[in-house]
This record gives sequence, structure tokens and C-alpha cells, in this order.
Amino acid sequence: MGRSNTDGASVAASTAPGGMHDRVRTENRDAQSSRVPVDRPPLAGIKRRRWNRRTRKDTWVFVAFAAPNILLILLFTYRPLITNIYYSTLDWTLGSASATAVGIGNYVEFFSSPDASNVLGVTAIFTVTTVGGAMILGLLVALALNQRLKGRTFARAVVFAPYVLSGVGVGLVWLFIFDPTYGVLSWILRGVGQVSPQWVNDPKLALVMVTIVYVWKNLGYCAVVYLAGLQSIPTQLMEAAALDGASNVRRFLSIVVPLLSPTTFFLLITSLLSSLQAFDIIRIMTPSGNGTSTLIFDSYLQAFGSYNRAGYSAAISVVLFVGLLIMTAVQLRFVERKVHYS
Amino acid sequence: MSISLTRKHFLGLAGATLGAAAMAACAGPSTDGAGTALKTLSPDEWSKVKPASSISFMSSHPGKSRDTEVKLIEAFQAANPGIKVNLITGGSNYEEVAQKFQTAQAGSEVPDVVLASDVWWFRYAVSGAILPIDDLLKAVGVSTSDYNPGLIGDYKHSNQQWAVPYARSTPLFYFNKDHFKAAGVPERAPATWEEFAEWAPGIKEANASSSGYQNAYQYPAIAGYAGWTLQNVLWGQGGSWSKEWDITADSEASVAAMQWVQDSIVKHGWAGVSSKNAITDLQAGAVSATISSSADLAATLKAAKEANMRIGVGFLPGGSAASTQVCPTGGSGLVIASKTSPERQLAAAKFVTFMTNAQSTMALSSATGYLPVAEAADISSIVAQTPEFKTVVDQLKVTRTQDFARTFLPGGDQELAKAATKIMNEKADVKSTLTQLKGTLEGIYNKDVKPKLKA
Repeated sequence: MGRSNTDGASVAASTAPGGMHDRVRTENRDAQSSRVPVDRPPLAGIKRRRWNRRTRKDTWVFVAFAAPNILLILLFTYRPLITNIYYSTLDWTLGSASATAVGIGNYVEFFSSPDASNVLGVTAIFTVTTVGGAMILGLLVALALNQRLKGRTFARAVVFAPYVLSGVGVGLVWLFIFDPTYGVLSWILRGVGQVSPQWVNDPKLALVMVTIVYVWKNLGYCAVVYLAGLQSIPTQLMEAAALDGASNVRRFLSIVVPLLSPTTFFLLITSLLSSLQAFDIIRIMTPSGNGTSTLIFDSYLQAFGSYNRAGYSAAISVVLFVGLLIMTAVQLRFVERKVHYS
Repeated sequence: MSISLTRKHFLGLAGATLGAAAMAACAGPSTDGAGTALKTLSPDEWSKVKPASSISFMSSHPGKSRDTEVKLIEAFQAANPGIKVNLITGGSNYEEVAQKFQTAQAGSEVPDVVLASDVWWFRYAVSGAILPIDDLLKAVGVSTSDYNPGLIGDYKHSNQQWAVPYARSTPLFYFNKDHFKAAGVPERAPATWEEFAEWAPGIKEANASSSGYQNAYQYPAIAGYAGWTLQNVLWGQGGSWSKEWDITADSEASVAAMQWVQDSIVKHGWAGVSSKNAITDLQAGAVSATISSSADLAATLKAAKEANMRIGVGFLPGGSAASTQVCPTGGSGLVIASKTSPERQLAAAKFVTFMTNAQSTMALSSATGYLPVAEAADISSIVAQTPEFKTVVDQLKVTRTQDFARTFLPGGDQELAKAATKIMNEKADVKSTLTQLKGTLEGIYNKDVKPKLKA
């Protein structure tokens, strides 16, 4: 590659090719001189020649395989998305045959009403606590399950089980547990002379309640993915560090955490997306959205609750969609840079 | 060879997709401003229509009445051999049925007969989803005078009849007789809330030692129609959510009444709010009294008998300003969808009048506790079987029409519940909460109701 050894980044790049390193390499080249010719053009030329050499048959085979999927995605993902954006510009009562176009009126109303700060606040609290809670607890559980313990396989199955249960079933059962009148939790609390908190009636506690249940349900997912990550860490690295006298904590922070970063990044994206779309547990445990109106649940309540404001509801879902889009873009752009791929 | 084949397939697929897209584009609202005008036939024209051979009935089986509904449908089909009725479960409560019926409006197939609660029929009438049934009733030989005048009168709007009463109820005061006895208070429902406030501390003290006991009185869960039962406390103290279209939720009497409610929970501590179902809390022995729909009567008495518990029922208590006419009616009626054919609508009219005739309404009443809606219904046999049922029927004579703010404002009930949550669960300032509620309700009226009333 004919590079100066002082350029650490390009040494890394030459030894370990990867998406991020390519970018680093390109940036370094730009920094050195924008006029230095790089070996890209010939590559592109090869590509073009290969494209030209493709037979028509190949093209049609490709189209035949890809077209059904593309069409289905267009029809069932992009078309509803665009229709929804259109609906968000209407003042439309659900079920009514006619509607009035109001432009961005629904958005103006959402952001200028007290609902916006309330709904966005609840969404933020719910998302941060459920993602953070499930990931941190999941990592701790994974660390425990990675030890050579008796009954480890059984414990792993138990930890993962809630994740595959139906959210509706989980919500119903936990609602019984939390019930301040005849729930098992209130029974235990009474046993130690305490009065059960009003889990359902108090909006703040209602949010705590659904957060606890959501974390309980999704903990297993994070634990299993982290466990896979832990098992892919080379044992010789840990042994070498131990020989060098690194403590347990030191090894965890300097080797395990950095090497788990691709896993953490993957979990962060998938957990964030699923938390922002959490619906079943919230709908079952707090049907009227008392203190638990996240963006997606408020969107449901506005259209299918007693207001029947389909246009306003569509606007809230567009807000959610844009939020998800921005977050995913930010994660891909900035967070991924901090990730180490082994 | 393979080229032409794949191309053909590909073109076919593209064509199918275009077709699907074009079909889907038919759904959704039009924005040209012209709503479809409702067409109904004249009595003469109805007499020439032949009823359809199959219709559908969407219900939530209120008061656990699925078996009764199935039996009534069988009886209807036996009496009308040419008409088959499909019973559709539209959800577990009125709101879920409403959600399905309204969503169905976007498609081409709607259920013919739908269960519509007190807060939904008016919205359907205004949006044109249901048919005025005056001429249809005549066509099937039924008169509105065959029904209890108060109950059928609830479904009048712009001089037209929009529904027939079906599963209609009133709230009842349910109490645990043993708990009352332990406190040495009379084993009856209190005449006024003031009287109950005197009894309550004693009731709570006398039963506090039993396991899991919580409160002398349990307010129904907010999610379960708080705005409905709270009308009783408001009316008793001279307040109301509204007077016709005039929102009175922040009037002096209304604020005083809701302050009394808050004090009973926060200051005096003898009342609580149910998390899910107050009648279940009563059955669990956790509370001594509550208010719940008469629809719960049969099931509650049965459960109490099995648990060896004595439960009594009585009229809703009055207040300082009014001791009678403090009870709202509630429940649901049957409506006929407009987006079908005259043949199906005529069959639907035959069906709704059958479901609400004297014999059918008696069957539903005895199985649940709903009011007999037909004038000709003879309740003596039900009373002989369940003496408490007489309270339900007697209380009907002293009911009061519900506040418009709850029944006629879209989302009004939801707003009342939100305000009740703040006052009862979050200890919010009563006056400012109700002032804010008034503003919200007036906003809904001006935006969603007023323009449509004038049109």
C-alpha cells in the first residue's frame, strides 16, 4: 500500500479491511492531497465492463427474482406510508366518507397543544428506561449465564422464555399481579404491613408498571444476543490480559465492553425501534393511556379511541416515523464510528 | 425462451399490482366537500321491498349475554324462516364495537345491525352511518309507543328515530350487607351521599381488620365510564357536566360536588378508586359499597351466593340539592346501517324489533339485569326469581336524561374521564381542572358538533 508507518489509521486499514476503515482511509487520502490519484477508477472500470458483459438473460433473471419482493414492499410498505402522510393533511373523522384538507393544521395543533410535550416526554422516558434497562440487565444476565454453572441451559431457556410469549398474555397476567385489591403483589405488601401503590390509577406509577413489564419481557432477547457476543470473544485475549495482571473489572472494561460494541450497537438499534413501537403491553395494561400515552399509543387512541380523529392520528404517526428515521440516521452516522469490529 | 416467459410473467405481475393499487385507491375519504346524501324509502316503497335472506348483527354481548343472544337469534330465525342472522363479536365493550363499525365504513361491507351505546348512536346519526328508522318501524308494523317512552325517546334527533332501546341499564348502588351490619348501620342503600358520609368512617373501622379490606366505598374504574356514574353525585348537589349544549362543568355546584368526591378519597380517606372493576372489588370483600351497572346484577348476585356473601342493591343516593331524579340511564340500543341495501335494511328492521319485543327483552333482562324495554313486558316472573330486579325497574321511573357533554360530544366521555383522573387520582385542583375541562368540551362542540347541527 506504500504508506508512511506514522499513519496509524491506514496501517489498521491495510490489515483489517472493513466498512468503517474504508471511510477512514478515504478521509486520510483527502487530507493528504486531493490530487493524488487513487486506485478507484480502474475498479469502477472493471465494474462497468462487467455490467456491459452481463447477458440480457441475467438481467431478466434478476428482475424476476427481485420484482415480486420490490412490488410487495412498494405496495404494502411504501404505499401505506405515503397514503398516511396524505391522511395527515386531512381533518378526517374515522368512518366518514368525506374529509377537509387542512394542510399542516394537524401538525400545528399537535405541537402547539400540551399533548405534544406530554406525549413526547412519556415516549422519551419509556424508550430510554426500557432500552437502557433491558440492555444493562441483559448484559448482567448474559455475564452470569456465560459462567460454567449447573443448570445453565435451563436458566438460559427461562431467561429467554418471556420474549417469545404473547404481549397480550403477559400484560393480562401482570395486570393481575399489580392489582392493588386482589393482586399477588398487594398481598405480599400487606403481609409486611404496607399498602399497595395505585399502579393503574396513578399515571406516574402506570408508566413505571408498563416499563417493568416491558423490560421483563425483552430482557431475554438482550441477554441471548449478548451471550452470543460474549462467547465470540477469543479466550486467549482474556488469558493474555490475566497473565499481564489485569483485574476482572479491568478485563471487562478494556476487553469485553469494546469487543461487545458491535453487539451493543445492534441491540441499541433493534431495541430502540421496538420500544418506540411498543403497543401490546401498553394497550392491555392501560387501555385509556393514563400516563402511558407514547407516540404510537396516542396515535391509536386518537383514531380508534373515542375521538375518531383519523387525520390527527396520521399526523402523530408521521411524527413518530420522522423521529425513527432521524434516530436511525444518527446512529448509523455517528454511533457506528465508535464500534470496533474484531 | 426463458426471456419471453419471464417477461410475460413480469408483465402479468406488474398488471396485477397496478390493479391492486387502483382498487386500494378507492378507499379513503373524498375531500371535495360533498358528503353522500342519505336516501331512505317512503312507507309505500318499503312495503314493496322483499327482506334479504341473510344479515349480520355486530354485538359485544353486553352483560355476558352471548348465550342469550344466540338463543334469541334462533327464535328469530324460527319465526322468520327466510332470514338468517350472523352474530359477529365486535369486541368486548361498546368502544371496540364502535371502532370496528366505523372502520368498516371505509370498506364495502358493513354489518347490518350494530349495538350502539349512549355515546355512539348520535355520532353515527350525524355522520350518516345509520338510518332513521321511523318508516322502517311502520313497515314492519311496530310503533315507538310499544317501547318504554323514556328509553326510546333517548334516540330522537332532528325529529327522527335513530335506534331502538336494547340492552339498557341504570347504575345501581351495590353494598355488602355483612359489612354494613358489622358497623351497625341500616342494611339499606343510603338515601343521600351525606348520609353515607356519616356511615362511612364507621363501616371502614368495623371491617378494617379483615384481610385485604380497603375502603367503605369504591368509585368505579375511571376507564369504565367515570363520566356516567359521576353524574349522580353532580346532580345530587345541583351540578352537571352540561345543561343541553351549555357546558356547566365549572359551575359552583359542579365544583363543590367534585370537591366532595376528592375529599372522600384524599381528605376523609373512606373512599378509593377501582383499578379495573369496582364490582369485582366488592365481590372480593375489599370494599363495602360501590356503584355499577344494573347489567351486573344477575352475575353479581350469583357470585355472591356462591361465595356465601350477602349483597344488597338500592337506588343511587341523592344529594343536598336533589334527593330524587339523580340517576342516569345508560346502555345500548340497536341501529341499522345505512350503507347496505333496502332489502337488508328491511330484514334488519324485522330483526331489531324482534330482539326488543316483550318476550325477547324479558329473556335478556332475566339473564343480565338490563331494563325491560318493551311496554308489554311483564316483569313479575323475573322479580319472583330475583327480588332485587324490582329496584332496577322502580329506579327507571326516577331517572334523568344524561348530560349532552357526555353523550353527544365526540370524545366527551373521554375528556370527563381525564378530568376525573386528575381530580380523583392525582389530587389536582378541582376548580382549575374543571375550568380546563369546560374549555376542551366547548372546543369539541364548536368544532365537531355545532357546524353539523346547523346543516
